[in-house]
Amino acid sequence: MIEFETEPATDKEIFDSLNPLLSNWFKQTFGSFTEPQKYAIMNIHSLKNTLITAPTGTGKTLSAFTAILNELISLSEYGQLEDRVYCIYCSPLRALSNDIEKNLKEPLEEITEIAKKQGKKINIRVAVRTGDTPASERAKMLKKPPHLLILTPETLAIILNSPKFIEHLKGTKWVIIDEIHSLAENKRGVHLSLSLERLQALNPDICRIGLSATISPLEEVAKFLAGMENEKEERDCKIVNVQFTKGLDLKVLSPLPDLINTTAEQVSEKLYEKLDELIQAHKTTLVFTNTRSATERVVNHLKEKFPGKYEGQIGAHHSSVSREKRLSIEDRLKKGELKAVVCSTSLELGIDIGYIDLVVLLGSPKSIARALQRIGRSGHHLHDTIKGRIIVLDRDDLVECSVLLKNAIEQRLDKISVPKNCLDVLAQQIYGIAIADKIHERDLFNLVRKSYCYHSLSKADFNEVISYLSGEYTSLETRHVYAKIWYDKETGMIGRRGKFARVIYMTNIGTIPDEAHIKVKIGNHTIGNIDENFLERMKKGDVFVLGGENFEFKFSRGMTVQVKAAEYRPPTIPTWSSEMLPLSFDLANEMQKFRYLMEEKLKAGMKRKEAMEFLQKYLYCDANAAEAIFNYFSEQYRYSKIPHEKRMVIEQVKEGDENSIIFHSLYGRRVNDALSRAFAWALSKTVHTDVMVSVNDNGFVLTTNKKMPIENAFTVLEKNDLKGVLEKAIGDSEVLKRRFRHCATRSLMILRNYKGREKSVGKQQMSARLLLSAVRGIDDNFSILKEAKREVMEDLMDIESAKKVIAMVNSGKIKVEKLQLETPSPFAFGIYAMGRMDLMKMESRLEFIKRMHEKVLSKIG
Amino acid sequence: MNEKKEILKGMRPVNLGLFFEKEKILAIADLHLGYEEMLNAQGVFLPRTNFEKIRKALDEMLKELPKLDIIVILGDLKHEFGFISQQEWKEVIEMLQFLQKHCKKIVLIKGNHDKILGPLVKWEGLKIEEEFYITKAGVLFLHGDKISASDNFQKAKTIVIGHEHPAVSLREGIKSEMFKCFLKGKFKGKNLVILPSLDLVSTGTNILREKLLSPFLKQDLGNFECWLVEDKAYYFGRLTELRYKNILTR
Repeated sequence: MIEFETEPATDKEIFDSLNPLLSNWFKQTFGSFTEPQKYAIMNIHSLKNTLITAPTGTGKTLSAFTAILNELISLSEYGQLEDRVYCIYCSPLRALSNDIEKNLKEPLEEITEIAKKQGKKINIRVAVRTGDTPASERAKMLKKPPHLLILTPETLAIILNSPKFIEHLKGTKWVIIDEIHSLAENKRGVHLSLSLERLQALNPDICRIGLSATISPLEEVAKFLAGMENEKEERDCKIVNVQFTKGLDLKVLSPLPDLINTTAEQVSEKLYEKLDELIQAHKTTLVFTNTRSATERVVNHLKEKFPGKYEGQIGAHHSSVSREKRLSIEDRLKKGELKAVVCSTSLELGIDIGYIDLVVLLGSPKSIARALQRIGRSGHHLHDTIKGRIIVLDRDDLVECSVLLKNAIEQRLDKISVPKNCLDVLAQQIYGIAIADKIHERDLFNLVRKSYCYHSLSKADFNEVISYLSGEYTSLETRHVYAKIWYDKETGMIGRRGKFARVIYMTNIGTIPDEAHIKVKIGNHTIGNIDENFLERMKKGDVFVLGGENFEFKFSRGMTVQVKAAEYRPPTIPTWSSEMLPLSFDLANEMQKFRYLMEEKLKAGMKRKEAMEFLQKYLYCDANAAEAIFNYFSEQYRYSKIPHEKRMVIEQVKEGDENSIIFHSLYGRRVNDALSRAFAWALSKTVHTDVMVSVNDNGFVLTTNKKMPIENAFTVLEKNDLKGVLEKAIGDSEVLKRRFRHCATRSLMILRNYKGREKSVGKQQMSARLLLSAVRGIDDNFSILKEAKREVMEDLMDIESAKKVIAMVNSGKIKVEKLQLETPSPFAFGIYAMGRMDLMKMESRLEFIKRMHEKVLSKIG
Repeated sequence: MNEKKEILKGMRPVNLGLFFEKEKILAIADLHLGYEEMLNAQGVFLPRTNFEKIRKALDEMLKELPKLDIIVILGDLKHEFGFISQQEWKEVIEMLQFLQKHCKKIVLIKGNHDKILGPLVKWEGLKIEEEFYITKAGVLFLHGDKISASDNFQKAKTIVIGHEHPAVSLREGIKSEMFKCFLKGKFKGKNLVILPSLDLVSTGTNILREKLLSPFLKQDLGNFECWLVEDKAYYFGRLTELRYKNILTR
């Protein structure tokens, strides 16, 4: 059963349960226990699975480790500590692993010292093992295993497949998963969940401990942590939820009161003035920008605009910055040597970054939990006030951030979802399991289903994965090349196949895909990176924006693009980046509610003065922001209609040959990605023409050169199952091709590392394209293709919430109102100006070439 | 200008092959048999489909044509450099046997991927040629990876090559599709015809964007004419139209 721990232990109870060496050290160092420790330690002491969530600076780490250290110290004191791993600590961040080692070693050294004075000998070994650990260190660990092993999810999978090391894991009593919130919602976590089941198969009574930042729903994360007892029930797990109401000082700042009748330069000018003012008024500031390119841009602009002020005082931190550079920035940050650090998202997770008194977010963090996580990086001590500022750049951003902040202050979190039944990760793990030992398929199926991520896995899907792994998608005579596992259908036994299986597994483990960043260069000088998808849209002569400047595309070669400066030419293709974070569905719904509230107020005749007061109080924003929001809503109210939680406004606009339909569907990009593709498909079916699609968090636009009977699309979607429609709609999309590459590498259809060679992303992508078309020819339901479709629909898009929206439209809870307008309404500017991002192809290649051919003949004829 | 069904007089595209009416010759290029096996060896588990697809495509072509005298393979019959793999051994032989049934003679021109094809085709009683010349028509067949120094090259009026795997992308707005294509232009005053690849695994080289390999094509291709292939070949005029003027984009 999953239950919240409601009874804290007393200091006395805990102290009494501890070895005197530890309790004395604890008394001397801290005096007493913190709240999370009071709730957690006794549970872990009695080996109960425990999920702990509490703010940083509340002794979270020791709440997990105290009971464990206690047992290890006692065993060591009485000379009963054996040479094996008692506790595994797993962290998603390598940097965090080093951090923890330091934080653990200190107390252990102090306790060992105390013991020595009393003539007792304590010897507890702690070691870190990550991808960076040299072979000599690993060999040492094999000879003399650490009692406490610190590692990453990937290294856990590796040691589970090490025939020698695994002997040291027999008898492991605890496994701690740190930063579990950052794992529960992605495939890395799914992969870990299966490793945990393998570990548990060795140690049926192992105690699982999870440490999490504030997240919702906690029950779901607890299930992810604990796994399943049997088909229906989760293993028992206690949730320790300690939330302090730290003082929150949060504000949304608008650089100008008017964000519409100003140029981008004016906004940018004011933005940097504001940013400089904030940084100068504080000791150390941490700035989040959401994207890597923006991070570099902000640092450069600050240095240029304020010469001398920021040289050597500011650092850029993101995933493309080299490891040494990042570590040096973290180090200088800790020592208080930097005035400001600008990062993309990379400092969201918990490495100790020292004293920060202000966090600035440039642009929306898109989710309430993420906002709290980031802003929580300031005021690292228990009772410090948390100080955060969000600076917005346009009116949509302004409304979004204001509503977001209101929810953050009022502690309403958006919900995460745990990916289920990922077949690519399953394939990789089964490959590993088969290498380790022979296993019956029935036992394997049962083992897999103990992971919460696979508890609803169907036997059919499981069989499909086994069939893939045994090479059944190819002809019998060539199967020896394709089969990855040995599988005897008669006996149902599964095992290793091939001499190199282990090497292949060890060098291709993991779930994080290689990202393809195309370098943009002028001659030998690198300007920045763009997405591979973006490159596909470009042709010679196109002008695009990168880092705030315009460049003209000359040509591409492999993974680089050559450009020249194009200051005076306007962009011919819109900037687009897959780095953009999607707005959470829950936050979107809060915004819809706010829109409804605003309409009610405007209907009731709210005046400017009244509105200013209301908005500043209701949204905790400044006067500039309140004024901009009021203007924005009243313009929309006067010109068109305000779309909100009970009304979906659809605007039809004709411009030249192009007919556009703008859907004001404020549900976040993940939902709109699904809705827009489904609508586009339904429409292209009825009018038989290609439909262009653009999507953002606030809505989507469909464009064609024909008249679009939108009612028909609603009817199609009412009559058909959304999943079926969407599956067809994404069948030929770029995004499916890209995700298929990720799934093909995870499932080892494409080996990133093979025979000592590493494959470039470009090569992986090319191979994936060939694979995709071959696999389609074989079976449209091939397990890895099926997984790519699932990933696109469920993880990248949010088909479940999209279904809810359609159901609400069908039941009349959301009223659809269609308007024919001369120009798009104020709320539609953002989406309409965004440019076309995707195409729903209805015309076949043959129809296309024939039409183009006629066009050419008439031109040259 | 009417639609050009012929690339040069008596020479017309039939799907991905080039047919010489008078001489009853069919030229095909760059089959790259064994491509999948090479990828397998690099750790890409692509199922083997190229052979079957090529055979079907050839079946379609041959249906349209009268009984052939000669089939010219313009090089790169097989993919793997250096050694002959198991898959190639089997597929090359089957392919040659299949083609032999449909013509009186097969002429195999050596490609850069065909380094040690020798032992393989000796078995079939075939010869590998560096080039093949039809005196009467003045047509010289070459692979195209290097420029020939032969007498026939001097005499030839028309050079036919493969090697480059030409394709172009047709764009309209944000829509873009790649099509394999035939090209026709000039090289040192001679006619130059480039065949698309018959390899049906890959999509070809986008000559509007990528850097080209063949020494014959190190020149401005703007005046080259192109025929794009889908179910058959469609004439699309000069490359410059596709490249610069954007007549196809609105």
